[in-house]
Amino acid sequence: MHEVSIIQNVIEIVTQKAIENKLTKINKVSLRIGELSGVMPESLNFAFDSCIEGTMLEESTLGIETVGALGECMDCNLEFPIEHFDKLCPNCNKFCTSVVRGYELYVNTIEGD
Amino acid sequence: MSEIKVVANILHTNEEITSQNKQLLNEKGIYVINMMSSPGSGKTSLLERVISKLKGKESIAVIEGDLYTTKDAERIEAQGVPVVQINTGGACHLDGKMIKGALDSLNLDNVNLLVIENVGNLVCPAAFELGEDIKITVLSTAEGNDKPLKYPRMFENSGAIILNKMDLLEFTNFNKIEFYKDINSLNAHAAIFETSCVKDQGIDELCSWICQQVDNKRGGNVACQE
Repeated sequence: MHEVSIIQNVIEIVTQKAIENKLTKINKVSLRIGELSGVMPESLNFAFDSCIEGTMLEESTLGIETVGALGECMDCNLEFPIEHFDKLCPNCNKFCTSVVRGYELYVNTIEGD
Repeated sequence: MSEIKVVANILHTNEEITSQNKQLLNEKGIYVINMMSSPGSGKTSLLERVISKLKGKESIAVIEGDLYTTKDAERIEAQGVPVVQINTGGACHLDGKMIKGALDSLNLDNVNLLVIENVGNLVCPAAFELGEDIKITVLSTAEGNDKPLKYPRMFENSGAIILNKMDLLEFTNFNKIEFYKDINSLNAHAAIFETSCVKDQGIDELCSWICQQVDNKRGGNVACQE
């Protein structure tokens, strides 16, 4: 899925943040990607390596932390791990309509000089 | 070297524009459908049918997403409702910025139902909010009943799912029992409609349901009821 445009947005966010913090060089970019987001870490790495050339991120590495999916039961308020095809509350066996975690797509931290 | 906490949403640009779109559409009381499916599942044909049945009752406008052509927009225009074409120039989904541009060129004052026909693609459109009230995914029987499992996000995030081309069911190996089982495990609360544009099957049910949603958004007045 559109991994290149995601990485282009990442470069934009990181460059902006680096300028705000007076960094001249980025060493590491860490992303948090939700399990349900449909984004492939392999493709992100490939897109990252191709797109950072000629930017402040040129020598940096990409760290990707996957965020597990969590649902919340509206009946008993239990938070429990969910998957695309398994969203039943282990307590009351009701279908979870509230996804608490799993669609994240964000830049968490950057390291630089 | 220093570590800096950023915590910035990668798709923030889309979300900012989308929330502006949503605000505008809410102020105008317009019910917005983001219609998605793979290419060829019958989105445009369904829309033609729905418009022809609803245009006397609802004031409808359409935004048509397509990579390059205006073919679908021409079909909708022939139904006599305002339509704006967005050509993405190869991009695989519509985003908030494209919708903003389209909204700017529509007169929204008397519209109460806006249908956005997304680019035919079962993957990317699911990740981009457009400011809609509901996502509706169309699946045709000829595509096979395995698609919800193979493309879970789109079906998972849809408020309604339309199983189209029911007239072809008998010529395919589409297994409806498995389809309902899979949808139930992914998205137990989706409304499901079975339709055929060729046989005019299920379109009336779909239209009354859409009407009800439009009324609910307008605050429960009952313009739709005959």
